[in-house]
Amino acid sequence: MTISDKILSRSVDPAVHDMLNRAKELGMETAWERYEAQLPQCGFGELGVCCRHCNMGPCRISPFDGEGPKAGVCGATADIIVARGLIRMIAAGAAAHSDHGRDIAHTLLLTAEGKSGGYEIKDEAKLKALAAEYGIATEGRGKADIALDLARAVYGEFGKQEGPIQFTRRAPEQRVALWQRIGIDPRGIDREIVEIMHRTHIGVDNDPVHLILQGLRASVSDGWGGSMVATELSDVLFGTPMPQRSVSNLGVLKEDHVNIILHGHEPTLSEMIVAAAGEPEMVALAGKYGARGIQVAGMCCTGNEILMRHGVPIAGNFLQQELAVITGAVDAMIVDVQCIMPALGNLAGCFHTKFISTSPKAKFPGAVHMEFHEEHASEIAREIVKVSVENFRFRRPEMVHIPDQKMECMAGFSVEAIVGALGGTLDPLLDAIKSGAIKGIAALVGCNNVKIQHDYAHLNLIRELIRDNVLVVTTGCNAIAAAKAGLLLPEAAEECGEGLKGVCKALGIPPALHMGSCVDISRILVACAAIAKALGVDINDLPAAGAAPEWMSEKAVSIGAYVVSSGVFTVLGTVPQVLGSPVVTELLTQGANDVVGAVFAVEPDPFKAARLMIDHIEAKRKALGI
Amino acid sequence: MSVESPFILVNPERCVGCHTCELACAAAHTRAGTVLGAVAAGERLQPRNRVVQVDKVKLSTQCRQCEDAPCVRVCPTGATYRTATYTAVDPKLCIACRLCMIVCPFGAIRVASREVSGREKKAAIKCDLCTERAGGPACVAACPTRALSLRYPVEIMRDAAMSTSRQFLDALRSQQELTAHP
Repeated sequence: MTISDKILSRSVDPAVHDMLNRAKELGMETAWERYEAQLPQCGFGELGVCCRHCNMGPCRISPFDGEGPKAGVCGATADIIVARGLIRMIAAGAAAHSDHGRDIAHTLLLTAEGKSGGYEIKDEAKLKALAAEYGIATEGRGKADIALDLARAVYGEFGKQEGPIQFTRRAPEQRVALWQRIGIDPRGIDREIVEIMHRTHIGVDNDPVHLILQGLRASVSDGWGGSMVATELSDVLFGTPMPQRSVSNLGVLKEDHVNIILHGHEPTLSEMIVAAAGEPEMVALAGKYGARGIQVAGMCCTGNEILMRHGVPIAGNFLQQELAVITGAVDAMIVDVQCIMPALGNLAGCFHTKFISTSPKAKFPGAVHMEFHEEHASEIAREIVKVSVENFRFRRPEMVHIPDQKMECMAGFSVEAIVGALGGTLDPLLDAIKSGAIKGIAALVGCNNVKIQHDYAHLNLIRELIRDNVLVVTTGCNAIAAAKAGLLLPEAAEECGEGLKGVCKALGIPPALHMGSCVDISRILVACAAIAKALGVDINDLPAAGAAPEWMSEKAVSIGAYVVSSGVFTVLGTVPQVLGSPVVTELLTQGANDVVGAVFAVEPDPFKAARLMIDHIEAKRKALGI
Repeated sequence: MSVESPFILVNPERCVGCHTCELACAAAHTRAGTVLGAVAAGERLQPRNRVVQVDKVKLSTQCRQCEDAPCVRVCPTGATYRTATYTAVDPKLCIACRLCMIVCPFGAIRVASREVSGREKKAAIKCDLCTERAGGPACVAACPTRALSLRYPVEIMRDAAMSTSRQFLDALRSQQELTAHP
């Protein structure tokens, strides 16, 4: 099989090459063709200088030298328009993460009230620890009682008016004091998002720096609020992840099995689907239709959630969702929310694949909608699995093309698991950092983006960092890229510098630790806070850096903002839509250092990005005197 | 027989006034070659074309590459000249006197600050049909609605002649049909 240079240039993953070649044979288009059809993309949009916030517009600021309009009809300049546009992206991203958190809190509430359809509290220790954090009495009380109080208290965070959001107090004291001093300590999760929408309405907040600060406040309410709620309460309900082995990439699909893909972001329904698919009755039904079993596989962050809790194989990351359908072997693509391409409907129509939407919030063209409600969770999950299994008989063997590629991985490094692997305390990690065996820690997160060769930046950045003894923690689509390349295996220690190799081998851990889904970046914040507190410093003093090498979503903008607000230098691999404003660009890449002690850098080349991160880590080590 | 110069033709029915052609033009005349790259590098973006609105109709305008170009006739230093295919400006000779700008009936010439032989100076800039660019004019390639095209006068004449000839033949045919079936 010869694969064209064009296809080779789109990804570094051979499974993707294989499937894009198959798509070409079948005459089917994917995101890459649609991206080409969009080119050249609008330069005003790229620069972030267009505004559609009122109907005197649309307005555009001219980027031309000395000519064209330099203000919109209302007088908004490029700086104002860019700042407003950027924080609206933060609002959308924070809303997405936090609404996910709200749904998990709702599930906990229903479970505590005995109204949820099959959920139970799996991690009682974590429930009690969180209750203690909230000042909820645990002594002599049943877990349902505690959970009820906790769920109500956490639910309250969303509509809180005057703050503080409890989990923000997990940050080091200095960081909280800084947030308070500059006015970005969030007052409530929803409130900050609403205030962004208010401030960016025509004629409200027109100071770019003031606007950006509100963006940072909302982002903190995401990272240390909504996202953290999602992570922590998911652990209570579904269990705190512990390291386990699994398999990744499209080769996990099985020709002789019913293949069910769970795609999207929330663990709530997927937990139940995984359980239902394992029921003997369902397996027997699969047998009745000639299948040897049921293969459930994840995709994107729903995939990460069930990978790290149940070792469910993960079929791929964001840019592989269409390719999964093109294998012709997927009997059902079940989706909830976020990062699900509306293109899937048309594509699924070319195969026997049932595209099933489940969230009351998200419908798609060409999808069958089987709405999910927590109250009847296991019933609905069974019904969905049944429909999926029954669809197996319509599979067309001549349309099945599953790539060979699959790779083992180890996932599920929650903070609790990391501490466990270290023998119950962070000390061995701190000692390794102090001795220089581990130079520092890098958090690699984020999406795929057709503007960058798929997984190229993710993998090269990880490899460059571990080679230089930087321990990588990873979530989201970066983690899936790492899994597919074998970087989540303890054996990957061989690719590390001597110091990190020694640590990985001694502990039996991979040099890139899979910490979960995108909301689980909150786990990274918790780890950073714990390390900073142990060293008696603020997070921005740590030899740590972050990167989103292939980011594309609004959620990633919110993540970037809260990571920088937390004091972590962050490198972006694609250019955000801000370059039209000199003020905002300067603030994000330089000025922010004086405000939150960290900045953004933009560097599409992963080798140069690694250099920036390592230089930063070395400078921080020097400042700490280690 | 000499070949007449090609030029950029706009179809106003397709133009949506998005200014993408202006950005593409400006970017094509930078070292970076892209809008983002140029802005990031601090390069000036200077378009050679202009999108205008006449009543409710939007359309882009640029140099028509006149065969007997007034800009060439009036240039006191010989900076503006004709090549075989377009009307060019030599920035080294240009003194930014604006005579070409004044006499251009299409408003297609601007005077802009630029670096010439290592020196910052003002000079006339105009559409050069992206002669140096592989793939032809950037504005044509960038137009999302395909409103712009690079056209040769000969081609336009031939297309027009073909189209009206077809109408003429259709008319003749229908007349014959009418007379054949009274």
